[in-house]
Amino acid sequence: MKRKSDLSKPNVIAGSRRNFLIRGSAATAATLTGLPAMLFAMNKEARAEGDPIPVGQCGPTTDFAAPDGIEFKNGLTLACEEINALGGILGRPLEPSFEDTAQMGDATNVQAAQRLIDRYGVHAIINGYNIGSGAAIQEVVADNGIIYVHYDTTIGHNNLVKSNPERYWGSFMGDPAETFYGSGFLKFLQGLETNGEWKRANNKMAVILSAGVYASNIANAVKEQAAQFGWEISLFETVSVPASEWGPTLAKIRQDPPAVICITHFLPADLAQFCLQFGPNPTQSLVYMQYGPSIPAFRDIGKETTNGILYATLVGALQDEIGTAFEKRYKEKFGANAGHNSGAQPYDGAYVWATSAALAGGSGEPGNNDQNKKVAARMSSMIWRGVTGTTRFVPIENAAYSYPTQVNDSSLGMPHQFLQIQDYTKGPALIAPAPYGTAKFVMPPWIKA
Amino acid sequence: MDVLIQIIASGLTLGAMYAVATIGLSLVYGSLNMLNMAHGALLTLGGYICYATITHLGFHPALALIAAALVCAAAGLVIYAFATLPLLRAENFETNIFIATIGIGSIIENLMLKSFGPYPIPQPLGISGQVVIGNVHIPVQNILILVTALTLMAAVAFLLQKTRTGRAIRATSMNREAAQLMGVRVGQVYAQVLALSGALAAVSGIMISSIATLTPVMGGDPMLKAFIVCVVAGLGNVYGAVIAAIVLGLLEAATQYVFGVRWSFATLLLLVILVLIWRPYGLFGRGQVVRL
Repeated sequence: MKRKSDLSKPNVIAGSRRNFLIRGSAATAATLTGLPAMLFAMNKEARAEGDPIPVGQCGPTTDFAAPDGIEFKNGLTLACEEINALGGILGRPLEPSFEDTAQMGDATNVQAAQRLIDRYGVHAIINGYNIGSGAAIQEVVADNGIIYVHYDTTIGHNNLVKSNPERYWGSFMGDPAETFYGSGFLKFLQGLETNGEWKRANNKMAVILSAGVYASNIANAVKEQAAQFGWEISLFETVSVPASEWGPTLAKIRQDPPAVICITHFLPADLAQFCLQFGPNPTQSLVYMQYGPSIPAFRDIGKETTNGILYATLVGALQDEIGTAFEKRYKEKFGANAGHNSGAQPYDGAYVWATSAALAGGSGEPGNNDQNKKVAARMSSMIWRGVTGTTRFVPIENAAYSYPTQVNDSSLGMPHQFLQIQDYTKGPALIAPAPYGTAKFVMPPWIKA
Repeated sequence: MDVLIQIIASGLTLGAMYAVATIGLSLVYGSLNMLNMAHGALLTLGGYICYATITHLGFHPALALIAAALVCAAAGLVIYAFATLPLLRAENFETNIFIATIGIGSIIENLMLKSFGPYPIPQPLGISGQVVIGNVHIPVQNILILVTALTLMAAVAFLLQKTRTGRAIRATSMNREAAQLMGVRVGQVYAQVLALSGALAAVSGIMISSIATLTPVMGGDPMLKAFIVCVVAGLGNVYGAVIAAIVLGLLEAATQYVFGVRWSFATLLLLVILVLIWRPYGLFGRGQVVRL
């Protein structure tokens, strides 16, 4: 196989695999633990020096979701570099291209996806999330016969694919739908009570959400199932974004203190402001928040008032051997403050797709439905243990299984991680689910024994 | 009683934030008949300059505030030189400058994104501590913002009413051609107002980011609220804008408590519609187009 001049492009590692393995750091070698080794083996002696395979991502690299969008870009960039070092896909290096979706409306998302296909001829689109309906890019993908992996975390994807599997065979959601947040959270509380780690002061739960599909669906899932777990929703309040002044909402909470405050609004700066305003005069409530606390800026802004806050994620890098090795590589490349949890999403998605494509004998360009259907079939049947845990797709729905809500075997579903900020100067502690937890739940400092 | 205190405290905080954001916008519209859509981005720029000079250059907070005001004043002059001045010579100035400043705002926001990254950053300039009334804790920083808004309003009033520059600005706002014939250097007046507006935006941006954090897109919401306040008060009426901002803040906080947070913005918009029907020139505006 002859070396091509376009290998000098910065996103392609042109060195030999032997050099990569010999000279690579311990962190680099860690990429070959587990399933990446399978891709490496399938590539045999091939170097990543054939015709590049264009792969794309359309994500919010500007506007309010840019903190995540830039990490999505980083995640795919890192995955492509590593996969290329392993020999690419049967000797063909991956060449990523990116389009901005800014505020992520469906119209913008669809145009960005179409540009990736028209300009670059991408074989696959590997995204993080784009808020919006979560069911628009699938149309472009279906029309062009390529593969799409995303982390929109929306039940809209499951419903869409299920409605017409013959059309949406190429679309995969790499994580479970957001509705699992609701049931998973209620089960988590039940577990705390069962284990004697916390006792509810009353049966009241305040649910605070913001307008938008993601926050609304999670809040509604909590609301719908709360009674089954003995909870009464005492407050169901929708806040407008941005929410820097929480006074009126806190006044309602303080008038009728609940045992649990569940906030499904997710912007880190707003949530940090909640902590700052809740902290001086707290109620005896567990405080659970959605997503925002996973961003380091949340702790930077809220400081000690964030100690004790609980949050969860359906997809994030685990704090285990594979996850921490990824975190180290990621931060070495993108800086100490880089958000590896967001980057982990397209990173795992890229590996799932690339390995499946290698198993299927290669990926297909737009319009090559036959080849890409083989790739999709491999993806559907694969159980991938990546940095975010296990990716295994629900048949017909093409969305990842959730553990422990949907499956009770940790090797067969993506862990619904519960974390707690126990010391705001350090990273969050992973307290559930077993066997991934690395710390125990600690009673928040404002709750008196 | 605690609830009432909390609503008033939250309302004054919201009102003060809207007021500081509104003063610069209202001044430019009142003086130049120019709706500066880059005003929100100038707030952002001011907030980030303050952050950078304190964190990276070790400036004293007072010096950082001055540095931010100077940089944003310079940005105002750049807007004057590269957008206002060329467009003044063409027809449809009001429409053209509206579009042009949207573009300028977008450029500034993206420069902030590239320079400082996308993550929210806490503003280092701020006063810690709380005032406790009943069981309600009111941050001293919130009180500082309210005092700043009132001080800026007084300063702008003094400038417009009691100084030679202020007279030139008022003359230009009433009739540009007549002012020119009377020897007022209209171009200079425009430059002065845009520089002053930039400096005011910097102070506003620092105050707002001190309780709402710094992000490249932080100027969008204050800009929208400032525009609503301007419409309710009467575009170009600086004093009316500050009063309207504080009243709207109180109304918003009360709506959030009584009807729920989701109704607060809708209530503001409903109020705008009612004002536009009842008094199209705003609560404090005049029927005739004579501003300031």
